[in-house]
Amino acid sequence: MKYAIRIGLCLAVAVLVISTVSAEEDAFVAILKSQLEANGFQPAAALYRKPDEKLAPIGRVIFRSKGLSLNGEISCKTCHLKDFGSDDGIPLGAAIGGKGEGPARLMSGARLLPRNTLPLWGRGGKGFDTFFWDGRVDFSDNKKFSQFGAHPPSDDALVTAAHLPVVQIREMLDEDAFVEKHKHESVADAQEVYSAIAANLARVEVSASHELAAVLGKPVDRLEYTDYARSIAAFIRSEFRIQPTKLERFVAGNENLTEDELRGGILFFGKGHCATCHSGPYFSDFKFHVVVFPQLGFGATGFGVDYGRFNATFDARDLYKFRTPPLYNVEGTAPYGHSGSAATIEEAIVAHFDPLRLVKVTDMDNFDRYEFYKRLTLSSEVATTTTYLSDAEVKQVVQFLKTLSF
Amino acid sequence: MFTSTRALKISLVAVNVIAALAVIAIAVKLLLVPAIAKYWYRERYKDLVFQCDEVMRAHFIAKSQVSVAPSEEAIKNLRAAEVSLLACHDYDKLWKKLLTLGLSEADLASLGLEAIEEKSKDVTEFVKTHEIRY
Repeated sequence: MKYAIRIGLCLAVAVLVISTVSAEEDAFVAILKSQLEANGFQPAAALYRKPDEKLAPIGRVIFRSKGLSLNGEISCKTCHLKDFGSDDGIPLGAAIGGKGEGPARLMSGARLLPRNTLPLWGRGGKGFDTFFWDGRVDFSDNKKFSQFGAHPPSDDALVTAAHLPVVQIREMLDEDAFVEKHKHESVADAQEVYSAIAANLARVEVSASHELAAVLGKPVDRLEYTDYARSIAAFIRSEFRIQPTKLERFVAGNENLTEDELRGGILFFGKGHCATCHSGPYFSDFKFHVVVFPQLGFGATGFGVDYGRFNATFDARDLYKFRTPPLYNVEGTAPYGHSGSAATIEEAIVAHFDPLRLVKVTDMDNFDRYEFYKRLTLSSEVATTTTYLSDAEVKQVVQFLKTLSF
Repeated sequence: MFTSTRALKISLVAVNVIAALAVIAIAVKLLLVPAIAKYWYRERYKDLVFQCDEVMRAHFIAKSQVSVAPSEEAIKNLRAAEVSLLACHDYDKLWKKLLTLGLSEADLASLGLEAIEEKSKDVTEFVKTHEIRY
């Protein structure tokens, strides 16, 4: 009889504990779902901006074509590799003058770019109209901000963005006599270079160019670079579109999250304050903030300095600011930060609230330390927003972020 | 007869010596002096490129601050930035000196680029360190 009472009591306690845990978990689920909704989460299908489907297969060929580079033997695909989550898996883009892909290309002596290659997931989807680390193409909120001034080559931000890498010296263009002659910031000079690239593509990609001309209803010799850029944009929209994730299935009630994923989500929207900037359908506010990642390489400004958004706006309030990175497929796009100096997502998260952990100030040279200090002082907005997270909490946030993979 | 032959020989030797000296002088001026100057002033030049660039950037930022968000503080900052441009004076002087010593503008541009890209090496170090993670 006594045993029966004891067993009964134990069962009652167990049921109570389980139901309490379960009630807590239910509450977490409800909170996370409501936070996702409040922060603009949308299913993948709602973000897909249907591309001109006839152009997408042509764009696939052009995306891989070294004809895009007048003299540098490089294509979009050289750095935007699916194996590395649609970027190149190395801190800074390894552009012309190299062989192979990813780390092998870097080690083969390729000329380095000052910034980390960005992945392409979601680019050109609905509401994704701000491109590059410094937002130098920004068509959000009915703006038409780009280096083309009042007359961008297209009203489509992605098409306009596809005009930039091909004319970027050392990215896809080497300095030869032709480039030297046209290396001026004038529309006429730029047009000459774009015409040369279009002619090169017509010569190298004969079949794709004829198809493009047929789709657009113009003769091949009248194709402009913008026509090729349209096809690249159509391909990117289709190939790198956001697809359903575990998080989406969770929101729809079709899949549960693990405890760590759930708690990571609560930290993301709560204590971590991550959603202050990583909000909206792409987990980015598409605004610009100072996060003190260690600086790797020579930087877009030179001498190991990168002024970020300032280089695009020349507004001192934009110094050291970079666009909030969208987070879909973030687990596959290491390394992180504008100069790729965070090797893991954990390090990238730590950079937001404890950047000093990622550097050894005594090993930095005096100027680097001074620059780092300047960035620290300008990061007060992010520093005062984010909260300290323990290593275990950081790991939980990472688990949550992995639910954004597809 | 004898005297004139001897004089001719002496003249020929003299011409040869002068020609050899001229060749040596040209080689020294065109090759040796620029090479030594490049070696000798390389680090100093790179340092001055950096210093001048730093103050020019600060000046550019100060100027844009005055136009974007004018204030008394911004104007004071711009004035200080203007004075700091004097740092470029040493760079200009060395630039001219190196040109006089026979370095070409291309040589100087490549030294400048070397200075700007000084930190490229740390990227390969980083990749080597973390290679296992990719």
